[in-house]
Amino acid sequence: MGLRWFHYVLWGGLIAGMFLLPQVVSNGTMRTMIFANYLAIFAISWDVLSGRTGYVSFGHPFLIGIGAYTTAILTKRFDVPVEISIPIAVVCTMIAGLLVLLPALRIRGSYFALVTLAFMELLYQLVQVIRPDLTGGTRGMSGIQTLTRGASNGYYLSTALMLSVAVSMWLLMKTRLGTALAAIGMNEESVRGSGLSSTRLKAFAFLTSAFIAGLGGAFYVHYLGSLAPRALFDINFLFTIIVAALLGGTSTIVGPMIGAFFMTFLLEYLRPVLPGAERYFVYGAIALLLYMYQPKGLVELVRTGVLRLRKGGVA
Amino acid sequence: MSFLEIDNLSAFYGKAQALTDISITVQPGEIVAVVGPNGAGKSTLLDSIMGLVKTEGDIRLRGHSLVGRSSSEIVRSGVGYAPERFNLFPYMSVRDNLMVGAFTAREDIQSNLDIVHKLFPRLKEREGQETSTQSGGERQMVSFGRALMTSPELLLIDEPTIGLAPKICLEIAEVIRQLNSEYGLTVVITEQNANFALSLASRIYVLESGRMQTSGTEAELRNDKRLLDAYFGGH
Repeated sequence: MGLRWFHYVLWGGLIAGMFLLPQVVSNGTMRTMIFANYLAIFAISWDVLSGRTGYVSFGHPFLIGIGAYTTAILTKRFDVPVEISIPIAVVCTMIAGLLVLLPALRIRGSYFALVTLAFMELLYQLVQVIRPDLTGGTRGMSGIQTLTRGASNGYYLSTALMLSVAVSMWLLMKTRLGTALAAIGMNEESVRGSGLSSTRLKAFAFLTSAFIAGLGGAFYVHYLGSLAPRALFDINFLFTIIVAALLGGTSTIVGPMIGAFFMTFLLEYLRPVLPGAERYFVYGAIALLLYMYQPKGLVELVRTGVLRLRKGGVA
Repeated sequence: MSFLEIDNLSAFYGKAQALTDISITVQPGEIVAVVGPNGAGKSTLLDSIMGLVKTEGDIRLRGHSLVGRSSSEIVRSGVGYAPERFNLFPYMSVRDNLMVGAFTAREDIQSNLDIVHKLFPRLKEREGQETSTQSGGERQMVSFGRALMTSPELLLIDEPTIGLAPKICLEIAEVIRQLNSEYGLTVVITEQNANFALSLASRIYVLESGRMQTSGTEAELRNDKRLLDAYFGGH
């Protein structure tokens, strides 16, 4: 699996650091970090599907939305306890993930991206017109049960969730199965020629991605306590997820995490200067510059920086 | 019974027909070459054996039909495929490229890896290197290695010398001979380099525009001036 002692030390250090952080940062910063944690979960989920297998999804909020709406409706309208509603939401999202898989069996590239975008738009329209008494229609839902109170508890929960997802995916990607998933993104025909079932591998990637998206979506809605379709199915939300993964570095686990934190804090610090949608212009420009300079993302910049330091230290 | 029998094979990409009525037999332990110019259908022939394209006709391995079986079943039945070196996973390490091939032969991973490292010591030295940064010859070794990780009895090799220096071609020919004589593999190679094919194979099939033009032993084809002029550049 190629696991080395320093991998455990780095993950251990990151986990310890993140759990000690509430001792030294303000509640405001913690709230920003909660959003960064959820964005990291969504970016990891997107990367499992799109970064690894090369099937670029423009409809990830479709999966997140299924998870969020399912648990919100079950808890708010039918008084189902969250311990039951969240697993149901995750299962429903995985079933939705299989729906997204269907077009991927025949098409890829820009056509696949457009089909996934249509999935997102379809759900956006459906939740507004079909049974608005359940979904809340265009206004969405509020008063949804929250799982935690206070910034620090919300932070601990989101951090535990994000790190659990990240470490699990990191371990999974270190296996031969993870290697095969990445191989699909590079040359699907060769994967088949090596005797692997690309359909099964894609199904696994789509289900895993949907599992994470559903889990993240469900916990996110129970953190917010409300659900607004316009915000959830907003094109800016979609691009924030994609850019976080690309900016941080696709086909890695740490990359989408770094990208998510960078994006969230960048947008937050730009808020006083550029309160409107102009902020997205700035992050777009940064993403463009970084992508031109280092297509492998921030994680590669960090990696080469560490290598240079080590070489300098040796010299 | 032949080891591999292909009867009246036609292959299609959508509505376009790429192969027409191809028949080939390969005996156990034999090296057979399929030669022809670009677009002759050589790669399509190997893809057809691997179940990667839509076909008509029959393909039998040890008497059992491969038609309608998935690529993974075909690999599990003992067919290894070394595609052109351009068909590697470029941003993966040498080791990870080999491991993709190891999926179907999980119980033999270490012994197969030992064989690959014995044949290609350079791959062991550079197992952490991305294949996109390797030379053409090294990538060809990775392609061979990945196919060998599937524990094949029949090895299909697609254009092993394309774009490689003559010295590397000789090394590759030596490895193919070694795989055949030492490890008992039956080998089918496709080639544009007719001299390479003649030096290696016991029998040669000549393809052009998706149709079989002729076939024969190395000796027969070397003496056929018309064929040499048409396909082998008058050697």
